[in-house]
Amino acid sequence: MKKLWYQFKEFFLNNPKAAIGMVLVLGICILCFFAPLFTDYLPNARIARPHEVPSADHILGTTRMGRDVWSQVIYGGRISILVGLVAGIFVMFMAMVVGISAGYFGGIVDNVLSFFTNVVMVIPSLPLMLVLASYLDQVSPLVIAVIIGATSWPFGARVIRAQTLSIRNRDFIHAAEVMGESRRRMVFFEVMPNMLAILGSSFISTVIYAIMTEATLEFLGLGDPLSVTWGVMLYNAQQTSAIRIGAWWEILAPSMALASLAIGLALVNFSIDEISNPKLRAQKIMAKFRREQAKEDKARQAAISTNKALEGVA
Amino acid sequence: MRYLLQRLGFYILAFLVAVTINFFLPRMMPGDPIQSFLARLAQNGGQITPETVTALESLYGYSSSTPLWQQFFSYLYSILNGEWGISTRFFQPVVDVLGRGMLWTLLLVGSFLVLSYTLTTLGGIWVAWKRGSRIDSFVTVGSVVVSSIPAVVMALLLYFIFASDLGWFPTGYAYDPALDPAFTWEFISSVLYHLALPLMAMVLLAMGNIMGMRSNMINQLGEDFIVMGWAKGVPDRNVMLNYGARNAILPVVTAFAMSVGGIFAGSLIIEIIFNYPGIGQIMFQGMVARDYPLIQGYLLLMTLMVLSANMIADVLLLALDPRLRTAVL
Repeated sequence: MKKLWYQFKEFFLNNPKAAIGMVLVLGICILCFFAPLFTDYLPNARIARPHEVPSADHILGTTRMGRDVWSQVIYGGRISILVGLVAGIFVMFMAMVVGISAGYFGGIVDNVLSFFTNVVMVIPSLPLMLVLASYLDQVSPLVIAVIIGATSWPFGARVIRAQTLSIRNRDFIHAAEVMGESRRRMVFFEVMPNMLAILGSSFISTVIYAIMTEATLEFLGLGDPLSVTWGVMLYNAQQTSAIRIGAWWEILAPSMALASLAIGLALVNFSIDEISNPKLRAQKIMAKFRREQAKEDKARQAAISTNKALEGVA
Repeated sequence: MRYLLQRLGFYILAFLVAVTINFFLPRMMPGDPIQSFLARLAQNGGQITPETVTALESLYGYSSSTPLWQQFFSYLYSILNGEWGISTRFFQPVVDVLGRGMLWTLLLVGSFLVLSYTLTTLGGIWVAWKRGSRIDSFVTVGSVVVSSIPAVVMALLLYFIFASDLGWFPTGYAYDPALDPAFTWEFISSVLYHLALPLMAMVLLAMGNIMGMRSNMINQLGEDFIVMGWAKGVPDRNVMLNYGARNAILPVVTAFAMSVGGIFAGSLIIEIIFNYPGIGQIMFQGMVARDYPLIQGYLLLMTLMVLSANMIADVLLLALDPRLRTAVL
């Protein structure tokens, strides 16, 4: 246990970016999912006069409707994060099924699946989502998650397909084939574990993308205006012209929440890349090496000069 | 040549798929646009006669009497002929309405492409060259942080601070409405002044591209031919630009084509928030009024843009990468 804790500490000390990212993401998740512990107000209750300036009681002020902004932010985060996760899982599932089958089975399966991937990829996803959402007329957050999932899988599918192709021709796969392993075992136990880093980082980027897109769709007025999410908060702020009246807290609060969650996730993702790509990591070791060498050089130079000075004295 | 033809065939197919989606979506969705239009009409106290229904059906290109496949082919025919229907919000042909905003969107997106890709490509090359230094970690972390801010948030904050609160930049329009469009310095400077803040928002949002270029470049710098270049005594600058960057830029060109859809989507949000009169804003007005022909026309137009960007990227790659050319011949 102690050893594990030590390893943990070492890891985060060596990866300050990962540490900051994890703290941001975990902090926001805790605030959102234990929201009732951090606020006395319900997000949809009218508890004060409209557009109250932030004070000790309402630390982020109130909205046009007299609702507490802080409680809206932390309650709203729940839905935003859930939508991100649901859409992320949906996208990863589609991308994995399409990508791995196209890459592993090859031939006609690959041709058909790649064609569909490429077609969905060139149809721009945000306009397509706007069309879908406007036909469905003010959709709930869950439907938004499904729409995001259905339009955004091709990129991941392409990455995973390329990775599968490169793994497929390695020796251990041929060895496993010769040993007569079943196809299911091949896919799940031989191919998939070798792309965990890629799967992880594309999952996180999908979650970021989904959270941003959900906020965008809702900001554009395609969400359900009665639900409390960060996107709907921005939409309501825009609708009640918070900018023009100077109610900065109403815009700033959801913006900061969205931005810090996205930045936290991006930092985590960045360090996954760094850990899984040895070339990106090597430069860090090289930099350390160079610094140490420079120090040594300096020490040697100093030693030589003192020696010379001593010789001069002698 | 065969390579280009193959790609062209794919683009035509992809466009047909997009048209098909556009055709079937309204017919599959629960909210029938004609019914919703009639409901709104009835709400406002309008009279509904069978003539209104037929007029609406011909307006939307629907018909309950002709079979579906016939409708599909007549739809396809009119799309190819540039008849994309009539906007129910602006009461003008969709093509005209979109064409009005296209100029400003192309100005915004075009200047964004030039500025952003020059900045991020050069920045990525330079930072990769200096990898491991303090500047490198500052730029990489900074660009990841800045570019992961959601577009809505970035645009709202910039708008709130610089346009609304400080008043340094205009809060709307593509040029000062008091001026007449003319080829004078006064007009052009007004256009540039109105362009500056939306452009800045888009460039900041795309700063993450530095990372892509940087990791391509780092991968290239580990290759043997770079060491060979140094061993031959090629100057540093030459190794950096002609040996490393020339190879590192190839994935960027492909990524560019893939990201065009995203760039236009980004410009949609930017235009809406900064009140910039491009197609994004027109589309938004149409969306609020549930102007289905306009929304669908927008989707088709965007698909066309992405397809042409892909085509340009294919040609560019042929020019940049001689290996592709020999493989084709």
